[in-house]
Amino acid sequence: MAGLELKNLSKAYGQTEVLHDINLSIADGEFIVFVGPSGCGKSTLLRMIAGLEEITGGELMIGGTRANELSPKQRDIAMVFQSYALYPQMTVAENMGFSLSLERKSKAEIAAKVQEAADALQLGPYLDRKPGQLSGGQRQRVAIGRAIVRKPKVFLLDEPLSNLDAALRSETRVEISELHQRMETTMIYVTHDQVEAMTMADRIVVLNGGYIEQVGSPMDLYNNPASEFVAGFIGSPKMNFIKGAPADAVGATTLGVRPEHFEMNPSEGAWQGKVTLVERLGHDTVLYVNVEGAGPVTVNLSGQHSQNVGDTVHLKPDAHFIHKFDHEGRPISV
Amino acid sequence: MANRWVLLFVLGVIAVLMAAPLVLTLFTSLKPTTELVNPAWYPPIDLTFEHYIRVWTEGGFSRYFVNTLIISVVDAIVMILIASLAAYAMVFMQFPGKMLLQLLFVLGLMIPVTAVVLPLFQIVRSFGLLNTHLGVIFADLALAVSVFVFMFTSYFAGVPKALHEAARIDGATEFQIYRRVVMPIATPAVVTTALLEFLWSWNDLLLRLLLMTRDEMRTLSVGLLNFQGTMTRDVTGLSSGTVIMAIPVVLLFLVFQRSFVRGMTAGAVK
Ligand SMILES: Nc1ncnc2c1ncn2[C@@H]1O[C@H](COP(=O)(O)OP(=O)(O)OP(=O)(O)O)[C@@H](O)[C@H]1O
Ligand SMILES: [Mg+2]
Repeated sequence: MAGLELKNLSKAYGQTEVLHDINLSIADGEFIVFVGPSGCGKSTLLRMIAGLEEITGGELMIGGTRANELSPKQRDIAMVFQSYALYPQMTVAENMGFSLSLERKSKAEIAAKVQEAADALQLGPYLDRKPGQLSGGQRQRVAIGRAIVRKPKVFLLDEPLSNLDAALRSETRVEISELHQRMETTMIYVTHDQVEAMTMADRIVVLNGGYIEQVGSPMDLYNNPASEFVAGFIGSPKMNFIKGAPADAVGATTLGVRPEHFEMNPSEGAWQGKVTLVERLGHDTVLYVNVEGAGPVTVNLSGQHSQNVGDTVHLKPDAHFIHKFDHEGRPISV
Repeated sequence: MANRWVLLFVLGVIAVLMAAPLVLTLFTSLKPTTELVNPAWYPPIDLTFEHYIRVWTEGGFSRYFVNTLIISVVDAIVMILIASLAAYAMVFMQFPGKMLLQLLFVLGLMIPVTAVVLPLFQIVRSFGLLNTHLGVIFADLALAVSVFVFMFTSYFAGVPKALHEAARIDGATEFQIYRRVVMPIATPAVVTTALLEFLWSWNDLLLRLLLMTRDEMRTLSVGLLNFQGTMTRDVTGLSSGTVIMAIPVVLLFLVFQRSFVRGMTAGAVK
């Protein structure tokens, strides 16, 4: 177990720099999620920490020692790949025990550790199978098992759930969170899914275009986004950004209101608009409303509501939860 | 249905044309000398193995057979090792001069054997390796290595990079990754290399004629020439010698028929 320190880390491929000046301090045992749009550099940053990608600038410290020049093995990290990358000719047990067999551990010790990991992941019945004879979810668990048998200092995961179907994804999400609580190992988890980030992370690192946009706990990011980008990225459905008259009225370039922060049929100060689409989810009802003078707005109402397409509704943003942004997309403090 | 019969007929004719020389050779090799006056397509009436025995003992074919076998087996095994190791480095490792090396291997693919035979002879001679198994083996490997490096390179290129990375993270050295992760999934390339290199080596005449002048070092392909003088020709000796040389090839083909066909198409991509 160890904490990590990323100091002015940067990455360039030839002339093009894809990660710029990354500063981040990760505490021992923390669950960190890197999140951001495709191509923002999440995987690259993770691979630099793993030792699979050369660090072209700055310093990486793992457990207090400089790791820039260390091989992946010397860094004592484990990684779960998006494609799982299981060794196809080895059985599940051999896959999980491979790193231990390279360390020349005894057969009995390997078998015991593999069994322990297999029990934790309900892989017991499959130990003698080859990866080709497993379902996607089982393969995914073998990949996790291979990473945990060694008890590494740091555990890296690159979009480990993106090949699973929705149901299995939320199930495995919970399992990984539980695993982290049991193992108390530092975990760095890459995803582009903000729901995974919100539900699993101690702290989220939002990356955009090779820069760190914001670092904070999920609720920090939700309540106090440091930029319009973060505000739009965190939360689902996405925050409404309103320009024009309503924004000018409060001295902002853009107003940000989350869909769940609207009051229906207020007594005063109402915006008025026609419903263009209704999504009924049972626990929530999502209305798409074309507000006069503000444009299209998404409204997320708790519970079931009777509005239909074409109805005129009256809305008011909840004053406590209005975000104001200046012309650079920075928040204007209230 | 008519189409099917036409097809079968054509295939049959081709098969007969292909098989005829082999079958006629087999007939001749089994005929007593008295029956040689009969036309070649007459099957032997009194089967005899006397020509085989003569060729195998007096003709020196037992010795030639062993020579050929040693060279071909070593060729095949060593070729698998060096070609796969070279290809591994090309695909999975970064090192200075990699591009240049790749270029050299491609160049090796394009140069015809006959163009380099003479310098090769001089090199082998200067090493004092004429009339040794080692000399022929070196020459064989040098001439064919590009092809097999190319084959292994294309095969390894299809191995997911993440597999190599996962093994590095698991703490494997490059050689451990080669031996325990990459080679076990490269069986098709290994089998194809073994078969093709063995067959080339088994059948080659040119290099062996140049590099093996002493009788006891000869291979089967060279040994067959003994039966053909400028004036005379030992037809039965030639036939039974040919059959002896063909038997291992036919056996290999029967055993590895499927890999063989795959290997041929793999070669075709070159
Ligand atoms: N080998 C490379 N050479 C040049 N540029 C690269 C290389 N690998 C990645 N990049 C660039 O680096 C940037 C970050 O890539 P990266 O794979 O880290 O993105 P990501 O955030 O993981 O995206 P995704 O969510 O799609 O996986 C991209 O713009 C990509 O084009
Ligand atoms: Mg990625």
